[in-house]
Amino acid sequence: MFDLFLFIGLPYAAMMSLVAGSIVRYKSNAFSYSSLSTQFLENRWLAWASLPFHFGMFVILSGHLLAFAFPNLWSILVSAPAFLMVVETLGMMAAGLCLVALMILLVRRFVDVKLQAVTSHLDVVVLLILLFQVSSGLGVAINHRWGASWAPGALGPYLHGIFLLNPDVSYLKDMPPLIKLHIVLAWVLILFFPFTRLVHALSLPFLYFTRAPQKVVWTSSPSHVRFEKTVAMDTERRLFLKASLGTGVAVALLSLGALDKFFRYFLKQDLTNAEEAHILSQKLQRLKQSAEERELELERMNKDMIFVAALSSLSQTKGKYFIDYQMRPALAFRDQDGFPIVLSAKCTHLGCTVGQDVDGQGRVLCPCHISYFDIKTGEPSLGSPAKDPLPHLGWALKDEQGSLLLSQDSDGRREGSADSARLERSLLFIVKRFS
Amino acid sequence: MSERKSKLWRTIKFFSERIPLHKMSFESMVSKKEVPVHHMSWAYYMGGLTLLFFSIQMITGIFLLFYYQPTVSDAHASVEYITFFVKSGFLVRNLHTWSSSCMILCLMIHMITAFAMKSFARPRELTWISGSLLLILTFSFGFTGYLLPWHQIAVNATKVVLQSIEEAGRYLPGALSTLPTYIKEIIQGEASVGQATLSRFYALHVVVLPLLFFGALGLHLLSVQLHGMSQGIDKLAKKSEKFFPFFILKDFWLWGLVFLVVFILSLCLPFESFYSYPLFEAYDALGSTPDGIKPEWYFYFLYYPLEILPFWVVMLGMGISSIGLFMVPWIFKNTSRKVLSIIAWIIAAYLIIMTFFGQLIYEIFKGSHS
Amino acid sequence: MKALFILGILVFMYCSSVFAHPEFQRYSKEVSGRSINCAMCHMHSDGPVGLKPGQIGSLNQDELNALGLARQAFKPGSGAKSPILNEFGNVIVEQLGKEKILMIKQRPELLVESLSKTSDLDSDGITDVEEFKDGTHPLNSLDGHPWKLFKNNLLKNWFHILMLGLATGCGLYGLYNALLWLAMKARREE
Repeated sequence: MFDLFLFIGLPYAAMMSLVAGSIVRYKSNAFSYSSLSTQFLENRWLAWASLPFHFGMFVILSGHLLAFAFPNLWSILVSAPAFLMVVETLGMMAAGLCLVALMILLVRRFVDVKLQAVTSHLDVVVLLILLFQVSSGLGVAINHRWGASWAPGALGPYLHGIFLLNPDVSYLKDMPPLIKLHIVLAWVLILFFPFTRLVHALSLPFLYFTRAPQKVVWTSSPSHVRFEKTVAMDTERRLFLKASLGTGVAVALLSLGALDKFFRYFLKQDLTNAEEAHILSQKLQRLKQSAEERELELERMNKDMIFVAALSSLSQTKGKYFIDYQMRPALAFRDQDGFPIVLSAKCTHLGCTVGQDVDGQGRVLCPCHISYFDIKTGEPSLGSPAKDPLPHLGWALKDEQGSLLLSQDSDGRREGSADSARLERSLLFIVKRFS
Repeated sequence: MSERKSKLWRTIKFFSERIPLHKMSFESMVSKKEVPVHHMSWAYYMGGLTLLFFSIQMITGIFLLFYYQPTVSDAHASVEYITFFVKSGFLVRNLHTWSSSCMILCLMIHMITAFAMKSFARPRELTWISGSLLLILTFSFGFTGYLLPWHQIAVNATKVVLQSIEEAGRYLPGALSTLPTYIKEIIQGEASVGQATLSRFYALHVVVLPLLFFGALGLHLLSVQLHGMSQGIDKLAKKSEKFFPFFILKDFWLWGLVFLVVFILSLCLPFESFYSYPLFEAYDALGSTPDGIKPEWYFYFLYYPLEILPFWVVMLGMGISSIGLFMVPWIFKNTSRKVLSIIAWIIAAYLIIMTFFGQLIYEIFKGSHS
Repeated sequence: MKALFILGILVFMYCSSVFAHPEFQRYSKEVSGRSINCAMCHMHSDGPVGLKPGQIGSLNQDELNALGLARQAFKPGSGAKSPILNEFGNVIVEQLGKEKILMIKQRPELLVESLSKTSDLDSDGITDVEEFKDGTHPLNSLDGHPWKLFKNNLLKNWFHILMLGLATGCGLYGLYNALLWLAMKARREE
């Protein structure tokens, strides 16, 4: 029952009071639409309190209005964590400003003699209601978190119901007392609005931005300076405002859109499991490759001779790949006399690895740009993009016991001899001093 | 006694005229500074644009520094990680690439227009000298930075350029003939381009060159601010505008617009799409080399002549140009702006033709000679 | 042990027929003017033959089995995944079947007509078939014909670009007023 009074009766009473009261007041006593400013009586504290209060109030009221007028849009916007963070920070900062400012506004009225004289009961009541409202709002934010999520869903429909003359209290029935207090105080404020100095809020200086600069003539300065000085002062202020507006909008847009992306550049990147696994396996592969390469390098540094294959396993038509002393790919064949043919497999054109199959004319093919190389001479065939021959490598044949049988340097000079039986069982090596 | 005094006195007078510290006052540097307005006034903005692109390079470079790993096994993978996995990594990397090309383009235009406008005339010789130093440093930035991604075109193009230094050995007598190889190995750090090269190019690109650049830039900017904008054309300009706020405003407007354009380009157009993809695969020392290895476009004016003309011709040309570059304020001291413009046009034409048509010219030559 | 393994691979390779297809590579280069390499369809840029990762010589037993299955995929829609082919290569085998691929080897231009006209594996806005004709990699979203990529990305990012333009405009407007304000202040102080 009480709920019905507080959340249906009171709101309608408040709104009627607001509308009717404001109009009646304006018609009967238009000049009373004043903020009753005490600026001429006490300037310093007022500056420190009034400006922050108005700024904070503007931020808070805009946020509330946006959320209640467009609850769906607000819910979508608020689902972006960055946006929510910004909104909550701004809101808390604004509330803090308002709180401190209101307290200063209140205290200064009691402390300053001149102000005591002009302060009425209604002034104090207004300030107190505002103070309680901001405090309860802060209390709601702290004790009943995530207001950005639950408020549009509950209060949005409630308010819509009020304005569409179809009020529904069920949304607020189970709300905690602090929230109910906050809502009630808001309606109370609206109820009292036309009777207090708050009516000054209804006269907003929109025309300021577009009207021509006022010519205020100061009687204290020489006349030829008067005009220049005042116009300049006024235009300076406009320029400053336009400048702040421009850069403010730019910075706001950039923060919303671009800067958070650059901020996320520095955070831990969230990768899916599959992506992490892929990167890790690639790293592992590279490490293995590096390890293998180092092993090969070490072998080539330490050993004077490196085993390639058993001579009997080599073929005339299919070469065996191995890595030579310069860490290049190389091929080993056997010619028709039974001796090994060992040559570099790094194509002299652009370095592709040459194929291992020997064609009918005794040539191997580099598939990258189609160059044919004769395996006996190493020379590229006519018309091949490669111009230089594949160099032959020096080799040595050892028997199973390790004694040297035959060797040939890279120019083709042979040393040693062996019968065919021993040759058949020999092992092919490449030799460091021939490389 | 008086001879010695006058020589010292002359030296002091020379430098005090070139670096007029007495002009470092708010009045002469800001409130009273004027910029001539004439048909070549557009060229006054080129230096500022170059500075804008350098700033972009610095900032994006620092971003990249957070993820890049300067080892031969991880460099390419770290760049791929930035490009595909780090939020906005692709944008940062692409901005860095686009901005480097834009910087060099603006730099060349700035140099050529400054030459044509005879901005190096007394007392602005030091501006020209510091500017020439900046030119060399910028190209060094380009050269060292190009190697860092450690892909096929990076490593192979670096190899090709360094190998051409070795070529000079053929023209030197006796023991001197091994000097170019020795120099090449100092630059490389080892017998062939590998980890040692990558490490030192990284150190150069990230620390040494920036420090040197700041030094030269400081001198260059100080000199420009103290002397103000040069006359630019032969007749004294009828109009001139105030440096502050009008010129600087237009300068910042241009920067804002240009930055927007470069940003959109970087967002939508990967620089690598202009080249074949095999060039950007990880460098494989034991594998094949793809087609189309060549240095960056801003080196074409050096690279194609090297491929076409005999080596000694190019070396001679480069030697004369390098010394000539620094001596410009004295060589062209009494040259009229008309002649300077003609020379500037010739240089510009050479650069444009070599850059756009170098490949074509090379193929024509190759075709007719083979 | 390692030598035996490699020997085994070599024997295996000797027994199977050669499968590299440089004809398609040559066709792509003729049509696009760009050089490509085997990595367009294969796992390794030097092709399937060799000991490197992605080449036949480096496959383990499971992968060899998968390779065997894939080599028997003569008809389209077999679902086999060859370990020496990348996604694009496997899509070609899936859509055409090995039989057809061997048939059109002599007329590579038919590959263009046989593949799906809408498939875009790297979602860069350029279809795979177009990328094959342009000589750009169909699995790399950053590789494509520059103008096409630019257009597609422009459309994709239109909102961000609009906001950026707006921000720049506002910022420059603010800067303009700020400088005029400073100038006015400076003049007043004289």
